[in-house]
Amino acid sequence: MADTFTVHLKIWRQEGPNEPGELVDYTLDKVNEHMSFLEMLDVLNEEIVKEGGVPIEFDYDCREGICGSCNLMINGQAHGPKAMTCSCQLHMRNYSDGDTIVIEPFRAKGFPVIKDLVVDRSAFDRIIEAGGYVSVKTGSAPDANSIPVDKSVADTAFDYATCIGCGACVAACPNSSASLFTGAKLAHLNRLPQGEPERAERTVAMVEQMEEEGFGDCSNYAECEAVCPKGISISAIAEMRRNYMKAALKGSEA
Amino acid sequence: MNLDSKVPSGPLEEKWSKHLNDIQLVAPNNKRKHDVIVVGTGLAGGSAAASLAELGYNVKSFCIQDSARRAHSIAAQGGINAAKNYPNDGDTIWRLFYDTIKGGDYRSRESNTYRLAQISNEIIDQAVAQGVPFAREYGGLLANRSFGGAQVSRTFYARGQTGQQLLLGAYQAMMRQVHEGRIDLHTRQEMLDVVIVDGKARGIITRDLVSGEIKRWMADAVVLASGGYGNAFYLSTNAINSNVTAAWRCHKRGAAFANPCYVQIHPTCIPVSGDYQSKLTLMSESLRNDGRVWVPKEKGDDRHPNDIPEDERYYYLEEKYPAFGNLVPRDVASRNAKIVCDEGMGVGPTGRAVYLDFNDAIEREGKQAIADKYGNLFEMYENITDNNPYEEPMRIFPAVHYTMGGLWVDYNLMSNIPGLFVAGEANFSDHGANRLGASALMQGLSDGYFIIPYTIGNYIAGEELPDVSKDHDAFDEAADNAQGHIDKLFEVDGDKSVVEFHRELGQIMWDKVGISRSEEGLKEAIKEIQELREEFWNNVRVPGEAANYNKYLEFAGRVADFLELGELMAKDALHRDESCGCHLRAEHQSDEGEALRNDKEYSYVAAWEFQGVNGELQEELHKEDLEFDFVELKQRSYK
Amino acid sequence: MPSFLDALKSQVGRKILTGITGVGLILFIIFHLIGNLTLFGDPQAFNEYTYALENLGFILYVLEAGLAVAFLLHAYIGISIWWNRRKARPQGYKKYQSKGGSSHQTWAAKSMIFTGIVLLVFLVIHIDTFKFGATETIMLNGHEARDLKSLVIATFQQPIYAFGYTVVMILLGLHLGHGFWSAFTSLTMKHNEYSALIYTVGIIFAILMAVGFLFIPLYIYFAGPDAALISY
Repeated sequence: MADTFTVHLKIWRQEGPNEPGELVDYTLDKVNEHMSFLEMLDVLNEEIVKEGGVPIEFDYDCREGICGSCNLMINGQAHGPKAMTCSCQLHMRNYSDGDTIVIEPFRAKGFPVIKDLVVDRSAFDRIIEAGGYVSVKTGSAPDANSIPVDKSVADTAFDYATCIGCGACVAACPNSSASLFTGAKLAHLNRLPQGEPERAERTVAMVEQMEEEGFGDCSNYAECEAVCPKGISISAIAEMRRNYMKAALKGSEA
Repeated sequence: MNLDSKVPSGPLEEKWSKHLNDIQLVAPNNKRKHDVIVVGTGLAGGSAAASLAELGYNVKSFCIQDSARRAHSIAAQGGINAAKNYPNDGDTIWRLFYDTIKGGDYRSRESNTYRLAQISNEIIDQAVAQGVPFAREYGGLLANRSFGGAQVSRTFYARGQTGQQLLLGAYQAMMRQVHEGRIDLHTRQEMLDVVIVDGKARGIITRDLVSGEIKRWMADAVVLASGGYGNAFYLSTNAINSNVTAAWRCHKRGAAFANPCYVQIHPTCIPVSGDYQSKLTLMSESLRNDGRVWVPKEKGDDRHPNDIPEDERYYYLEEKYPAFGNLVPRDVASRNAKIVCDEGMGVGPTGRAVYLDFNDAIEREGKQAIADKYGNLFEMYENITDNNPYEEPMRIFPAVHYTMGGLWVDYNLMSNIPGLFVAGEANFSDHGANRLGASALMQGLSDGYFIIPYTIGNYIAGEELPDVSKDHDAFDEAADNAQGHIDKLFEVDGDKSVVEFHRELGQIMWDKVGISRSEEGLKEAIKEIQELREEFWNNVRVPGEAANYNKYLEFAGRVADFLELGELMAKDALHRDESCGCHLRAEHQSDEGEALRNDKEYSYVAAWEFQGVNGELQEELHKEDLEFDFVELKQRSYK
Repeated sequence: MPSFLDALKSQVGRKILTGITGVGLILFIIFHLIGNLTLFGDPQAFNEYTYALENLGFILYVLEAGLAVAFLLHAYIGISIWWNRRKARPQGYKKYQSKGGSSHQTWAAKSMIFTGIVLLVFLVIHIDTFKFGATETIMLNGHEARDLKSLVIATFQQPIYAFGYTVVMILLGLHLGHGFWSAFTSLTMKHNEYSALIYTVGIIFAILMAVGFLFIPLYIYFAGPDAALISY
């Protein structure tokens, strides 16, 4: 087993949604290179509990990079320094002895802090609720092979559908835009024959909801693509714009 | 206790359609007068909530996560089975049924398993219509791959993220109903009790995980889709928050817990690296389609795997099971990994791992073809272990993955408490003593989309369900009970953390109630769990406060329940004095380590009724005899 | 469905407008630079060109109005986006850095608001200096014309103008460095296959424009009124 090393942590602590918060210093000397970043925080929490303190709250669940629960701003980068990686899949081998690591929650008006590093991302659910689905009732589906879908279309749809809804795109965007999240779901459903009939309504409803939730404008920084643990391309955003304007043009003709 | 399975009479193929013809319906305009609670938003809960809402019921949906899109179904990698026979390799509903019941080592109900196979095809249709981007062939039609325990290609998949895509389909269907006002969605709520009024499930008690508030919810029926209990082992492939609390609290209110000892240990997981480890990561079973499992023939051979010549490698699955080779069912693969490691042939720093080698597949099909199939899994493996599986074999070891046991349900998926329905991994129904790969997604969606929406109507139409107030004594009692449990946890004020207790429980479970079990070990386990539980209630420390977001408090409640369930699992394993599927009793195995069933004495479902806890967990055993009218019980053989 | 006007007011619409006006302004500066290069042509080529421009009559007013609208809209939306970002993230990060990789959050991108505002102020001065600047009247092919060429040369003899313009043109290059690529993306022309190419073309374009524009003041300043490339 590898030797342990020490890291200095500055972690955002905030009692509740309306309390002020601050960065609190911790030093952890039991870090092992095979630990995941969240396991490192588990070990720190165990120490805090032993000393009678209140452990640091942070969201997590599957710890294999697919549920989208974990959401840490690590040294100013959403999910830390590694591309295509969630906070839970970041390993301590990316750090060395004596490093200082600042950990903050994902910040945006649309993501209010609940406690410490835990934020409320229900705005994303409301964007999906606005139209991120195909309106098909259980039991009414035709045979699965009745509509062939070009393999390349299905593969591209899949690429966009891999979004885990973690919110890194918003957190890293200088404008706190949710365009990549919204665009990814649109790019998934709008290109499939099953999603085609509702394309216009879906696009307009989701774009409007995204704006209503208080997320900012997109300035094409593409930071969202760089931090996305699934590497979703900002081409989704361009497509969203095209479909939105098409819908608006079509709508105003009617 | 009444364990009437309510299986319809008649030929196997006609039971479900006959049942649908016979059950009572609720008129469309009456449906909106009925509230249904659905606990959990995984494949089973999400699909049930969406379908019930589409029918017109008022659905109240609950999950512990911050969104209905995160339940652990999302992590299922490999695929979903269906008897479509698109590849034209001779698959039929019967074959899917037969493989499933045989894979389960003849410990499941024939009728339920057959229905599962029947419904499998509709699930694929439904998912495709929702826009689930399954893998396709160049012709634009759906692709299939083969999976463990079957000799046909019947598994539909979306790269290595099939669970995610199917769950998002169900989630989106749910969110559509939230938009329509048919589903009232409550996230970050943990169910702590079920409320029983006049013998029927009429509501639940939850804790709001953000404010800590104890809340009361009323309904005409409750669907529990809260997942499995693999985290009793502490380390498992389950998500960290997966727990048994909702199901266990129902059990303590009288719902029978069936076959708790049936735990599937998945053969292809990334081995443990240290004590800080919080979970184990599964590498999809689909990897065994192209990966070859081996260990060095010589014990303690510490050469780099690429330096070990072909004739010094022991491809133990291929040699022992020439017909199925690396595609033997999970229990067989796991047990054999343990055997070779116990014999000293294990690899890696701990000696508790075997190789899964893709070299031949890469030489045969090219690196790109392998990357197309397993790219994301390879990346995940490299990210966690820092080893590149394109260059050297993966190291894998079994880990707890799925629990076939769960709350007992009848053919309608209703527990022995009227009005309490149980779906998905939380029930015991379809997989017997071992679940085949790509069958969990099938079962969860089958229960949620296509079974419960009908059977719940039958229940509601046939019962007197007078209005119940949230101030009813039963609600008061249940809410006080939930609050009392939380207060009691804080009162202990000891000095050992919840995680330490959980880790210790997990160690006992893994050592003595794991891949291989013995009478002696199980008896020790029961005693050790009792002692640990005693210590827990005298020395646990729960930090923070009840009226705030407090994950350690959540864990404390869940670990308290695992400490009771763990004992029941060991008791069930001890009472089942045979081997079957994943339940291997060391006393009952062939010379080659195969499970030896005892159909004469144990061909039944063990349904346990909670009696109380006083130092020892008191449970009464009830038996539902399994009758096999359509398949012949055979010794499983994958040779 | 939103009306077309409402659609233009949405986040998406604003970005589309920014892109359209940006492309308009890009076209404008291309023509502007080509026009400027007539300084190096025949002795009176520059004055003939400016004379022709100023005597376009109605068309000139349309073009000027169009440019003014494009410029103001572009600036207004840009400033409002920058202003809104505070609202979208009321509490900022203590530590923030780009992840690199496929991110285009370059210095150029981050300074769009700064370079944009400088260009806005510059434009006012620029118009005042040349459009409304005092010039001699000369006879050109039998009609009176402004001797703008002399004004240009006189202006860039002054270090404050020569170097001030140079700095601003570098900032213009930075603005275009992000703006060119961004306009394509805003106008929904973003495809994974071409993205890197468009980005590279954008950078080359930005450099060409900046160098093209700043060459003139610097050349005039250092080479003086008798510079070899400028004929009289």
